[in-house]
Amino acid sequence: MTVQDSTAPDAALGLAGIPHTGEGVTADGHLTEPQAEDFHHARSAPPDPRWYKSAVFYEVLVRAFNDSDGNGTGDLRGLADKLDYLQWLGIDCLWLPPFYASPLRDGGYDISDFRAVLPEFGTVDDFGYLLDQAHKRGIRVITDLVLNHTSDAHPWFQESRQHPDGPYGDYYVWSDTDDRYSDARIIFVDTETSNWTYDPVRGQFYWHRFFSHQPDLNYENPEVQEAMLDVLRFWLDIGIDGFRLDAVPYLFEEEGTNCENLPRTHEFLKRCRKVVDDEYPGRVLLAEANQWPADVVEYFGDQGVGGDECHMAFHFPLMPRIFMAVRRESRFPISEILAQTPSIPSGAQWGIFLRNHDELTLEMVTDEERDYMYAEYAKDPRMKANIGIRRRLAPLLDNDRNQQELFTALLLSLPGSPVLYYGDEIGMGDNIWLGDRDAVRTPMQWSPDRNAGFSRCDPGRLYLPTIADPVYGFQAVNVESAMNNTSSLLHWTRRMLQVRTEHPAFGHGDFTELGSSNPSVLAYLRRHEGDVVICVNNLSRFPQPVELHLSEHDGCVPVELTGGVRFPAIGELPYLLTLPGHGFYWFQITQPHEEGEPQ
Amino acid sequence: MSTRPLHAVESLADDLRAWLPAQRWFAAKGRDLTDVRVERAEVLSSGEPTLVHALLDVDGELYQVFIGVRYQLPEHLNGSLIGRIGESYAYEAAHDPELMAGLLDLLATSADTGSLHWRPEPGISLVTGLRARPIGVEQSNTSIVYGYHYILKLFRRPTPGANRDVDLHRALASAGSTQVAAPVATVEDDDCVLGFAQRYLGDAAEGWATATASVRDLLAEGDLHAREVGGDFAGEASRLGAAVAQVHADLAEELGTQVDHDVDAGVAEMHARLDAVLAEVPALAEHERTLREAFDAVRAVSAMPVQHIHGDLHLGQVLRTTAGWVLIDFEGEPASAPRERVRMRSPLRDVAGMLRSFDYAALHLLAGDEPDNQRLTRAAEWADRNRSAFCDGYATVGEDPRADAALLRAFELDKAVYEVAYEHRNRPDWVPIPLAAIRRAPGIP
Repeated sequence: MTVQDSTAPDAALGLAGIPHTGEGVTADGHLTEPQAEDFHHARSAPPDPRWYKSAVFYEVLVRAFNDSDGNGTGDLRGLADKLDYLQWLGIDCLWLPPFYASPLRDGGYDISDFRAVLPEFGTVDDFGYLLDQAHKRGIRVITDLVLNHTSDAHPWFQESRQHPDGPYGDYYVWSDTDDRYSDARIIFVDTETSNWTYDPVRGQFYWHRFFSHQPDLNYENPEVQEAMLDVLRFWLDIGIDGFRLDAVPYLFEEEGTNCENLPRTHEFLKRCRKVVDDEYPGRVLLAEANQWPADVVEYFGDQGVGGDECHMAFHFPLMPRIFMAVRRESRFPISEILAQTPSIPSGAQWGIFLRNHDELTLEMVTDEERDYMYAEYAKDPRMKANIGIRRRLAPLLDNDRNQQELFTALLLSLPGSPVLYYGDEIGMGDNIWLGDRDAVRTPMQWSPDRNAGFSRCDPGRLYLPTIADPVYGFQAVNVESAMNNTSSLLHWTRRMLQVRTEHPAFGHGDFTELGSSNPSVLAYLRRHEGDVVICVNNLSRFPQPVELHLSEHDGCVPVELTGGVRFPAIGELPYLLTLPGHGFYWFQITQPHEEGEPQ
Repeated sequence: MSTRPLHAVESLADDLRAWLPAQRWFAAKGRDLTDVRVERAEVLSSGEPTLVHALLDVDGELYQVFIGVRYQLPEHLNGSLIGRIGESYAYEAAHDPELMAGLLDLLATSADTGSLHWRPEPGISLVTGLRARPIGVEQSNTSIVYGYHYILKLFRRPTPGANRDVDLHRALASAGSTQVAAPVATVEDDDCVLGFAQRYLGDAAEGWATATASVRDLLAEGDLHAREVGGDFAGEASRLGAAVAQVHADLAEELGTQVDHDVDAGVAEMHARLDAVLAEVPALAEHERTLREAFDAVRAVSAMPVQHIHGDLHLGQVLRTTAGWVLIDFEGEPASAPRERVRMRSPLRDVAGMLRSFDYAALHLLAGDEPDNQRLTRAAEWADRNRSAFCDGYATVGEDPRADAALLRAFELDKAVYEVAYEHRNRPDWVPIPLAAIRRAPGIP
């Protein structure tokens, strides 16, 4: 039997001549798939089983960072060339959105081959090279993996629709009718009318929780489970440091439920975790579940054993509340959501962020709060996208340096591992006139040269135009000039990352909010063993006094972390601090000792 | 020190006579004290330092004091010195964390010290070994915070009989209210409640501070409207309204309601208060007619529902916690007699108090400034926006308070008249705040 054209999308995807799924067929009808042994394996990152608890992550879009071959699109080799910069900045781990072969009808989340790289980004060996170079610099790399579904261009799906009785016939969720699992909501209500779509080739309906071109894999089939575990192994063998597992709540379906967060979905995640723990210790799984923290904690697994599902999960509602708190000059939006956040297993960690490649999502706020956020942060209707705001950090904050510093200080000191978004460290702007979410996906601005130093190509060939306005344009805002100016946001960010690295309390410590009578001041204590850090943030644009009740630390001396200045010792009375508008302090609480030279 | 505490404290009488008028909680300021008698004194803990509890009769008024006695006075207590007992220093023990820490143990162990009974609330088991921290200045009490757990309020002027603060808290706690700090213990003797401990809301910020942060934000803008600025408070005001309405509903449920058929008596009281203030503040005269008409309009109300209410509600009596708004201090209007305070009253009295408070929050930044029409208008807009948001929130739980327009208006003006007198005596710069409210009051509906 020969593989038909439609099961070999390499022609359309440019995979001809590159190892990919479905190049051949085994005697029992299975598609041959590339094996990890066929590729270069990267050297390992330095061993540290808990690295993700204190790591600073950096989300970088391969397409947007650096173009090595001058075709107008960033690529893996180009990213590898910029690792020195990321090491200098102090990044611990890169998070790459998907770079797999894909028809790109959903930003690469529609994967048509789990074992091939999108040709415009490079090859699997280019990825191996990136990993190798990153690990050499002590930087780890994780990427997105979509477990729930594939693209309809994936050879598995093509086999499944054409050969219902073949080895892939049961890889997807097929049905003669479109009325099963009717309690499951439709997620993309704007574009989809049902979770079932009729396939004329097979003459049956297939199940999809997202777009109709993204059929859900059938996890009832043990062979699918094994195949997906082998996908994990493929990349882990090459040396990847972990995965952000996309759309995890939807793996299984069950009649009479909403088909989300089902027990068997958790069972499968436990299997994934076991593969990591047994075969690849030190690698991480990060759950993408855009839900309330109280529900997301389920994805950390059993508290009793320190967590046995995902190591990390994003804390979605915190981010819009940071914006709201500063706009309202009130700590309560942040205090409330942290108070509602349950404790997590000892081996688990939140991922927290201010901005990422999606819009600033407002799903986790009330209607009243959403209206408020729109009014405050999306004054132009084009600034809105779906249920969110498509803007970068700097323009969201009116390019106010004080606020950018305050927000970054909050991100680096609240409980969780911070995820920076590429370009925000230099205060890059956005272009709200670009479609969909592209406003925040423009080329990284490296220098004032052509194409912001991102690519040597003809400017018209760029995948998206560079930002060129007089305030945020690359002539003014770029890495080169920021590096030459030690008072730049870039240098400031780098210093803050260094300070954070020196204090395990930030990554590993517990969190206690210190109340105060001033509603505009958010103060909290982070503590890990002997390392005690107090963070005090003025959310108001006006100077504020605050009295903190620190008598538990009577006699200790607060030392400001960025400058090392010793503040007056803590006594029985409330500790008085004054903060400038949008100011903040980080203090280490130290035992008193004599200052000065030996007597 | 003497083994007989009564004599020891009596030996301090002259020092106390000099010391008492300087205390913030002392009521009869500005009057010469003639007579300080020690009603009772007992040792709560002995050794170095020693703690003595005393009840003083000061010209016929009862006061509760805690006196610490040490041979050596640490520096941080220098400002708390009262006088000497023999070779020792006697000082205000409420400022001494070491001595105050011991009170928690007395409460936790259900101790009896002489005539004092220290009792946890039924079913409450107190955590001990917590650090004690005396907190700020209060009008009529002194409060001690224990760790992040409890706050113990010591009533400086205990009154015999039931304690409204304790009773209303207990009623609300039994209703399962989340709008109050749960009661955890009391200190009583055979006549009075002397102290009241509640769960401490360590994450809380005062309503006044939260509201005025919003006003500051508004006034710093050139021309944005109150609904347009980032620090808009209307959402909070609405949640606060709902919390107050819930407390009213719970109090009515637990302690019942009545109908006041003698509305005229209440109207007469408002007129009487106005008479007194008119005599004192000439500036009020031009508004006399408006005020009297507003009060008389209440006579049309034949029967007024009454119940137990907070009694002294304003933004300083509410706390914003991470779980929502909480009401504190149910002692009632401090200026009225204890017998008056326990009376059932219209819940609109509380609403009126809060509405006046929004007005104060809006205007206090402008007090004493040259009148600036632009700023005054914008501050008034903030007040109006948050007053109506408060009523909207109240109406989600209870009756819309604006439905009884005549009553609400009269209560607000009655409160404003009281404010005029208070400001006239204490802060003349602030008199325009209540006067402006009277001027702006809508006509008879």
